[in-house]
Amino acid sequence: MSYIIPIGPYHPALEEPIHAKLYTEGEIIRDAEVFVGYNHRGIEKLATERNAIQTLVLVERVCGICSHSHALTYAMCVEQLNGIEVPKRGEYIRVITAELERLHSHFLWLGVACHIIGHDSMFMHIWDERELVMDLLEELTGNRVNYAMVTIGGSRRDIDEDMKARLLKAVDKLKGPMDRIVEIALNDKTIALRTKGVGVLTKDDAMRLGAIGPHARASGVNIDVRRDSPYCSYDDFKFDVPVVDSGDVFARVVVRALECYESIKIIEQALNNLPATPINLGNKLPKIQKGVALCRHEAPRGQLSHMVVGSGGFNNHRISVHVPSYKNTPTIPFMLRNNSVADAGLIIASIDPCFSCTDR
Amino acid sequence: MQAYKRTDITKDQVVPIAEKMRKAGVYLTMIHGFLNEEGQMDVSWDYQVEPVIESYHVVGEMTLPSISDIYDCAAAWPEREINELFGVEFEGLDTSKRLFLPEEMLETQGKGQIMVMPLSELRANVIKEG
Repeated sequence: MSYIIPIGPYHPALEEPIHAKLYTEGEIIRDAEVFVGYNHRGIEKLATERNAIQTLVLVERVCGICSHSHALTYAMCVEQLNGIEVPKRGEYIRVITAELERLHSHFLWLGVACHIIGHDSMFMHIWDERELVMDLLEELTGNRVNYAMVTIGGSRRDIDEDMKARLLKAVDKLKGPMDRIVEIALNDKTIALRTKGVGVLTKDDAMRLGAIGPHARASGVNIDVRRDSPYCSYDDFKFDVPVVDSGDVFARVVVRALECYESIKIIEQALNNLPATPINLGNKLPKIQKGVALCRHEAPRGQLSHMVVGSGGFNNHRISVHVPSYKNTPTIPFMLRNNSVADAGLIIASIDPCFSCTDR
Repeated sequence: MQAYKRTDITKDQVVPIAEKMRKAGVYLTMIHGFLNEEGQMDVSWDYQVEPVIESYHVVGEMTLPSISDIYDCAAAWPEREINELFGVEFEGLDTSKRLFLPEEMLETQGKGQIMVMPLSELRANVIKEG
């Protein structure tokens, strides 16, 4: 018997609004469609009436999870247009914030995935550790969500010796719990049974459909902007890019879990080698020079790109924000095919979607 | 600082460039669209030829070829977005369903750029009307 099962836009299995239509035969999904647009706020239009500093505040509100990524990528565009060279210390502080953001984002997703699987003790354990990362972000930036760490030409808050020591100690303290989390994630029978062989996206499909970030790396695509097109002094740090070939939900768990270790490596290197330069170039409001700039940042969910068009005045002529979930959401129907209806919520969540970002 | 290389092309070159890039395994970063200061439509196809973004621009065209049969959804979604927001027609693109905007919005507005009043004017009107 064939059915069309609608899921969403508001549904307990979904974290954010998306509408999916599942075309099923019995319990098996034969095809699917996804519809977005329930969060469209017109942020790109609002940005055309704001100057660079106001836009930093605005673009941070695109997403509550990767707010630093948006501010960073926008700032990089304005700096590219204006030929501004950011002092090294400012870049290192940007990197530290970005990697802490990746840690909290991946912990959040791993927790949510465990919750959907039905492994709630693991969910609570992971979110308990995530609190430590949130506390670090609060100590570093003064905020738990929209960090306001980026300004045009650098970072807004410095890290003194005391804070450096506290951050290093706290990051070191994360390693023990992370080992336990990764061990459970990789070896627990419940997680393996619900994720192995589920929601497979092949490498060829991932490349053709433009999947990016951990989602693509879990399908064997070896891409990472931090390494392929370095920015913010990322080429100063040694880190690996975890890539797994199996392309299923389990691979996405593995890639994100291993990426947490790499983030800690980067944070430790950045803290231990903080350059003795200013953190920014002062508080001047810059004009946005005429031209087009496009910059990319490896946000927690994948490559984030901002395009800024300047006209020589203080306001943006146009900004265009394209987020990882915009690239990864169209892969959902391909992953849902020939899977069970019961796995639909998990498969949709496995791309770590952010529809707030996608819609802008 | 990341490198960005702009090249202006004609619309006939869009498909051959996309085919060449796809064959070489190059990612399509994004298709962007905006109205330039002269009010002309500027559409760019941005490819990740690491470590550089190669950006191919077509200026002043409101009908363009679709590359959604080459790059699938990676091209179809941004093409649909540009179609909805600026009214650019992509030949061969399925626009039977909306991507971001409500289904009824374009039916009432008619095809073409959706005219949005500048926010400063809107605010002034609201203040004036109390």
